[in-house]
Amino acid sequence: MGRRGSKLLGILAVVALVTAACSSSDDGGGGDGDGGTIKIGASLPLTGDFSQPGGEAKRGYEIWQQLTNENGGLLGKQVELTILDDASDQNTVVSDYNRLISQEKVDLLLGTFSSLLNLPASAVAEKNDMVYVEPAGGAPDMFSRGFTYLFFAQQATATHQGDLFSQYILSLPEGERPTTAAYPTQDDPFAAPVIDGIRAQLEAGGIETVYQTVYPPETTNFDTIASDIKASGAELVAHGAVFEDGIGMIRSFQKVGYSPASFFETSAPSNSSQFSDAIGLQNTEGIFYAVSWHPDTDTPLNAEFVAAYKAKFDGAVPAEDAADGFAAAQVLQAAVEATGGLDQAAIRDYLHANSVDTILGTLSWDETGAPQQAFLLAQWQDGASQIVLPEDLATTDAIVAPKPDWAS
Amino acid sequence: MTHLAQTLILGLLIGGVYALMASGLTLIFGVMKVINVAQGALLILAALFTFELWTRTGMDPMVAILVTTPLMFGLGWAIYRLFVARVRNAPISMTVLLTFALAITLEGVMGVVWKNVFRSVTPGYFTRSFHVGGLFIPQAQLYGCGVALLMLGLLFVFLTKTWSGRAIRAASENAQGAQLVGVNVNGVAAMTFAIGVATTGAGGSILSVLYSFFPASHYLWISRLLGIIVLGGMGSLPGAFIAALMLGVAEALTQTYISTRWATVVPYVVILVVLLIRPQGLMGSKLREDVAA
Repeated sequence: MGRRGSKLLGILAVVALVTAACSSSDDGGGGDGDGGTIKIGASLPLTGDFSQPGGEAKRGYEIWQQLTNENGGLLGKQVELTILDDASDQNTVVSDYNRLISQEKVDLLLGTFSSLLNLPASAVAEKNDMVYVEPAGGAPDMFSRGFTYLFFAQQATATHQGDLFSQYILSLPEGERPTTAAYPTQDDPFAAPVIDGIRAQLEAGGIETVYQTVYPPETTNFDTIASDIKASGAELVAHGAVFEDGIGMIRSFQKVGYSPASFFETSAPSNSSQFSDAIGLQNTEGIFYAVSWHPDTDTPLNAEFVAAYKAKFDGAVPAEDAADGFAAAQVLQAAVEATGGLDQAAIRDYLHANSVDTILGTLSWDETGAPQQAFLLAQWQDGASQIVLPEDLATTDAIVAPKPDWAS
Repeated sequence: MTHLAQTLILGLLIGGVYALMASGLTLIFGVMKVINVAQGALLILAALFTFELWTRTGMDPMVAILVTTPLMFGLGWAIYRLFVARVRNAPISMTVLLTFALAITLEGVMGVVWKNVFRSVTPGYFTRSFHVGGLFIPQAQLYGCGVALLMLGLLFVFLTKTWSGRAIRAASENAQGAQLVGVNVNGVAAMTFAIGVATTGAGGSILSVLYSFFPASHYLWISRLLGIIVLGGMGSLPGAFIAALMLGVAEALTQTYISTRWATVVPYVVILVVLLIRPQGLMGSKLREDVAA
């Protein structure tokens, strides 16, 4: 093509842009998006109780936006993110998603953080027939409402999060296998079902429950609970923690002079350096947790994600919550690209029928939007977190057992 | 039996710390009839100052009290002069609104400056315990409780033995009478508010070792402190002390013998029961509003 040809093309492109700009006021930003961008909206708990994971999820969304735009965008268009702050409040999150849909007129939605907030927020999306991919919120209640536009972008719902841990414990030879167990858990829709799941499986396997309690999220002092668990003589502790309470319980175990032979804790140990700084690196040895993501696994874009995150945030290693945010956006991206448009029903049908490769691994969903895979079982070893099960994704062959005594 | 003794010890140790934290709140109410809802946020702020000192210089949090107390005193003075003085004679709902706004503003500022991340100060002794017989006494709690009692003792001596302290008490008993005998009631109010806020210096430093905290933690603390001063009798320092010990023990006993679910409800139940049965609290005096009006 000669110079004249390219000039003609340029003029045509300008004409096309102008007409597109004029007509976009009619279609209200729906369809293929207005102008050269695709607008994606989300609300996250950037302040209040969930501000810590919420802030990480925001980083995950933003890194995905950055990588996607650098690689030519979504459907050839640049991605524009609108992220509102719901202040960890159920009413605010509802008004935020209504605003994103009716006022901001976003083309696509991404979910918020925690089951507590996703429960009402996903209902807004469902009412508006918009696909809702949520990065964190695996409480069983999420998937019992007959929603069809909801997708949870992690490997498993909460009740199955600890499956690999219970299987590992029950696979231990008699003599090494603990015989008694304690199950303290926060009254949290994501933590409590995990512990219930583990307890049901271990009880079925013959491990006696000697202590169990559900404490409210406001609990700050764990000395009494730790002292009660010590008195119960439990050999295994499965603790349903969110974050602060996980740290508090470990500190209290140290104060009362109690160290369980097997110790599983939800969520808190996955907060990499924040966790090890809080309890001391030497004290992390042997602690189990279930996790959706690990920086070293060989999954699509994982290395790029970690590198971009480090470059943007002063060399910090991404938290799992950031990876979950990134994966949720990957799920949406895969479905949009496969269907070649922004038709919400087509995107929904695609996700119900297909699996998607993300940095967490491959994900697929049942008709309720609940994922069908298993969480990874991780353990702190020599001051770093390692994946110990399943074997094909493990980053080490060794499993530390029994857990050594606290270092200090 | 050992188990009960253990539970009581843990409850009393925590109660001693609660007492210090509640002292400032009840003092401010006693003299000024202002409920400082921002007291919890100031407590967290002092804990964050302690965290900064500890990470930057390695200063022990119990020593950091010598820095945080004057710092919070100055901040309390400034808050009084800038904000509280203006609504001093407004209805009590106005001061509650003002201090609540202060609390939310402080939470926001702390979130921006220190990020919404859980922090805790972890000197070597924070997870160690003394073992006596079959019982354990956590060192951090013991030191925290000891320092809290020391600070309360100093506060008590100040209020009973110095002229300024007696002026504060006089103003709290009868403002007009105090004015008649030459007490500068406005100056006393500013000093009381500053001293009340200064107690969060020590309270926050101790808190930083015993608990992990982040900006939004202040809601939890203010509700607990309000429960204590309502139980003790609004404005009564000895009342707050006894109430704090009772609340600490009640929380621990509830956790062990009833349910952990109910432990955090204890402060609210206390407020309700006290309002129903003895509205003036354990050691509060009945308000004679008919006469005062």
